[in-house]
Amino acid sequence: MNQQAIGAGKSYAKWISRVLIGLFLLAVTILTLFPLVMMIAGSLKSSSELMSGTGILPVKWQFANYAEAWKQTNFARFTWNSTFLSTVSTVGTLLVAAMAAYVTDRRDFPGKKLYVAVQASTLFVSVGAVVLRPQYDLMVILHLNTSLWGVILILISAHASTYFILSSFFKSIPRELDEAAMIDGSGFIRTFFKVMLPLLAPGLGVAGLFAFRHGWNEYILPLVFTMTSPELQTLTVGLANLRYGSSAAMQTHLMLAGACLSVLPMLLVYIIANKSFMQMTAGSLKG
Amino acid sequence: MLKLRKLQENSLFLLPSVILTLALGIYPLVWVLRYMFYDYAGYGQELFVGLDNFRRLFRDDLFWQSVVNTLVFAGGKLVLTIPLSLLLAVILNASFRGRNFLRAVYFMPTVISTAVISVVFYILFNAYNGMVNQQLMKYGIISDPINWLGPDHAMLTVILVAAWGAVGNYMLLFLAGLQSIPRDLYESASIDGANAVQRFTRITVPMLGPIMQVIIMLAVIASLKGYESIMVMTEGGPIGKTEVMYLYLYKLLFPVSTGSPVEQQIGYGSAVGFATALIVGAITALYYYFSRKMNRVF
Repeated sequence: MNQQAIGAGKSYAKWISRVLIGLFLLAVTILTLFPLVMMIAGSLKSSSELMSGTGILPVKWQFANYAEAWKQTNFARFTWNSTFLSTVSTVGTLLVAAMAAYVTDRRDFPGKKLYVAVQASTLFVSVGAVVLRPQYDLMVILHLNTSLWGVILILISAHASTYFILSSFFKSIPRELDEAAMIDGSGFIRTFFKVMLPLLAPGLGVAGLFAFRHGWNEYILPLVFTMTSPELQTLTVGLANLRYGSSAAMQTHLMLAGACLSVLPMLLVYIIANKSFMQMTAGSLKG
Repeated sequence: MLKLRKLQENSLFLLPSVILTLALGIYPLVWVLRYMFYDYAGYGQELFVGLDNFRRLFRDDLFWQSVVNTLVFAGGKLVLTIPLSLLLAVILNASFRGRNFLRAVYFMPTVISTAVISVVFYILFNAYNGMVNQQLMKYGIISDPINWLGPDHAMLTVILVAAWGAVGNYMLLFLAGLQSIPRDLYESASIDGANAVQRFTRITVPMLGPIMQVIIMLAVIASLKGYESIMVMTEGGPIGKTEVMYLYLYKLLFPVSTGSPVEQQIGYGSAVGFATALIVGAITALYYYFSRKMNRVF
């Protein structure tokens, strides 16, 4: 074989492998998007088309499904509950974690190592449902089980990952900045709120995004806490409960419309803040 | 005076975190360690029964079935997820047009609520008018509808759904790991005539080793723990085919739908919880031990 033939064979093999990789990526893309496309398309079909039709796109677009789903179920209530739960737990998590991260990064005190070790171990020792019952019972004792505050407190208590993310951000803020503020007569607390938190804004942004996603998507906790008070159900709980259909058989097209209503806000946030999501997950491996 | 002031400030800043961790992280563990020795239904009398709960545990077929199911579920999910996400990461680590778009698309499932998307899958996998069967039959891939959530296929279905939600996450973690490998290693290997497969096995895998170990450990823990999607899609059914440890535990600790054969039993539930945590911990430790041994071999 001469040199030219080898070169041709090489480029031929390269071409084939490129096509194979392209086909593979196409297949994965289709599989990834299939349920989402079906969810959105299905939410715009009529009930009878959903049962019999085989086309992916609706024959006649039923935008009224959304209005109907909103009216027939408690979606307004669910949406409010989800928004309240995620917002408050995000703000709480950020505040608690930022304060702890600030004091452990800037000051030395006895027990600091133990504190960091305990936080780190909660990341790896995952107990999940094991502690659900004592957490619930504690909230009953505190009379916080009849509101979403019980769920919010439990969500805030799991702030270890936020703490480590913010800790690494604090390390990148030069100590001279807060020292200068203190020399200018600003106290420790004032410095934290007036100087450090604004400087930490990018860190709070990405960590907040993740805390918000966590609260918005949480299912088990709100499920447990709303078993006796349905008016507190969040979107995830309310939608999953529709499977049992309170009035006759719950209609599939309305359930899909509801699924879209509860997924689209998070999806929109994701599309806008895609870069931060990518950075954060990639960064979480190092931190 | 100054010292006292500093101490006050330190405590003030750390206290919210410490109180929450003690009350909702440490106290519940102590609680479980106590109640696993009691017969307690969640109301009324608490009766100390010693190791009775554990004797019962060993004879509890439902629990052992859930252990087996958990292993099948976690194993199946890992076998699908890890190679696929690694492959995607390696491909998307090269630079080509549309790379960032594809990364965004593959990561998208991890942004969506597991419970909500499981409701959607529950509808899609419906045996008679589900859209999965409709599409498969339309293109002649199958001739009769498959009962995806029936006894024969339910486990496969919940594994597929779990993998769908997890691939993007591990792809991104692998990508982060790949980006920490210096580019010039690949360049010099290419100059020396190494092909793509050689570059992967000789550079990528060994350099990625330690990070891969951590990623797989996170994946193992997550797949042993995950039960949300199973809860929504099958509730452990049909006939206990998809009952996993954490779901069984949940049913013991909370009164759920009346169709469930399990009654609320806090004392016994605590024992099951302890055993479950122990099993998960043991598997994680075992993985850690063997993956370190493998490191030494390579």
